[in-house]
Amino acid sequence: MDTVVIQNVSKRFGNTLAVDNLSLAVHPGEILGFLGTNGAGKTTTIKMLLGLLSPDSGRVRVLGGDPCAPAARSRIGYMPETATYYPYLNLRELLFFYGGLCGMTRSAVRARAEMLIERVGLGAAAGRLLRTYSKGMLQRAGIAQALLHDPDLLILDEPLTGLDPLARIHFRDMILDLREQGKTVFFSSHELSEAELICDRVAILKQGALVVCGAMQALAGDGGQNLERVFLKVLEADTAREVPA
Amino acid sequence: MILRLRQLAALAMLAVLELYRRKDLFVVFLLAMVILLPLAFFEPFGVSGASRYINELALLLIWIFSIIIGLGVSARLFPPEFESRTIYPLLAKPVGRGTVLFGKYLGGLGASVSALLVFYLAYALLAGVRQGAWFTPVLLQAFLLHVGFMTVLSSLALLGSLVLTPSATLTLCGLTTAGMLAFGQRLPALAAAQTGPGRSVLLTIHWLAPHLEFFDMRQRVVHAWPCVDGWACAAVLGYAACYAALCLALASRAFRRKRL
Repeated sequence: MDTVVIQNVSKRFGNTLAVDNLSLAVHPGEILGFLGTNGAGKTTTIKMLLGLLSPDSGRVRVLGGDPCAPAARSRIGYMPETATYYPYLNLRELLFFYGGLCGMTRSAVRARAEMLIERVGLGAAAGRLLRTYSKGMLQRAGIAQALLHDPDLLILDEPLTGLDPLARIHFRDMILDLREQGKTVFFSSHELSEAELICDRVAILKQGALVVCGAMQALAGDGGQNLERVFLKVLEADTAREVPA
Repeated sequence: MILRLRQLAALAMLAVLELYRRKDLFVVFLLAMVILLPLAFFEPFGVSGASRYINELALLLIWIFSIIIGLGVSARLFPPEFESRTIYPLLAKPVGRGTVLFGKYLGGLGASVSALLVFYLAYALLAGVRQGAWFTPVLLQAFLLHVGFMTVLSSLALLGSLVLTPSATLTLCGLTTAGMLAFGQRLPALAAAQTGPGRSVLLTIHWLAPHLEFFDMRQRVVHAWPCVDGWACAAVLGYAACYAALCLALASRAFRRKRL
């Protein structure tokens, strides 16, 4: 059973068609790169996957259930694009707060939080208020909160924004590690080079519609084009195509 | 059930922690102490027995500061969540919107009531020093009803913050509170003296607006009158619970319909 199933989903805001008859499936244990230009409908799709928005038409299933149901959301980790989190909490308090929302006991949160704080490299800053954090540190705090309850599906919206090169390498290793553990990752990004390095498949959106979806190798074709070239080419083309995995 | 309680505790604790770490709550708190405590030793017009005036002034200040704190705290529970987009990771967790709303309400109310408790302790100190009456039953009843008042005020401000801008919420709730404390009791008489649309408007306000004057026990405390009957106190607290529940139900509906 696919981890994420999006079937003929459309979403309109006033006169703007944000998502246009989108159909997409994410397989268990894979990293799917969800790419597109600004305003392509990536964040709207993610909000529907999280049950924050309802589609106007079509159907969304996440981990076999309705994303609005708490049971499905208890298995999803989400990292937003630009969240400042709570400026008057420190990282430990933030993780205890989110752990409480996930129903974790204090001892479970404590053990998991300390491991994640070290993993994202914020051990020395964990007691500082979040308002003193840089953008990159907040992104790392975001990764920690998304992984806190050990989710089966990780939804990342522009996770690399503000990360320095070293943090990017650590982040990439962490995502690849999660795949090794059988986790599914839905990775929305503008960073084509990073997507190329870690994604098993990519889906490219243009004006709310899926224009291409397939495995990295199949997209690159015989010419071995990089993802940047593929991205440019499909955005210039008019018709959608499905590349076999 | 345990999960829901854990979620409520986490949300309430977040609201309390955030509110106490913002320095503006302390400014109001400090200001109140600076004004209230010297009153314990102040003799107006050189008359040492003019305690009633001092008590009246102190209670008025407690009410004003509690309104500022109650409105300021509750009206700011949700807008920063939307401004800083923390609402997305929050609602992505396995928590219902109703739980988020109620948890935040409990946190805001807890922070406001804790400040109110300190004000009343300062008042008891004042009354104790001046009159030797430290914790009179009527003062305890006044505190209890003041908590009921904060319950209604916080829910009203929370509802406003989900449908209006923060400044509009503060203005509207502030006017409603001041208007009902001043004229709430006289609304039926004022309506009876009117004809036509004016009467309908006043009657509508009488039936819809929160009767915050029910919770005002200042005169009883100042004049050392006996407590109100237990059933009357319970009825007023019941009214507070019902009005707050109505506001929270409307706020929950507004929150569910809010575009994210």
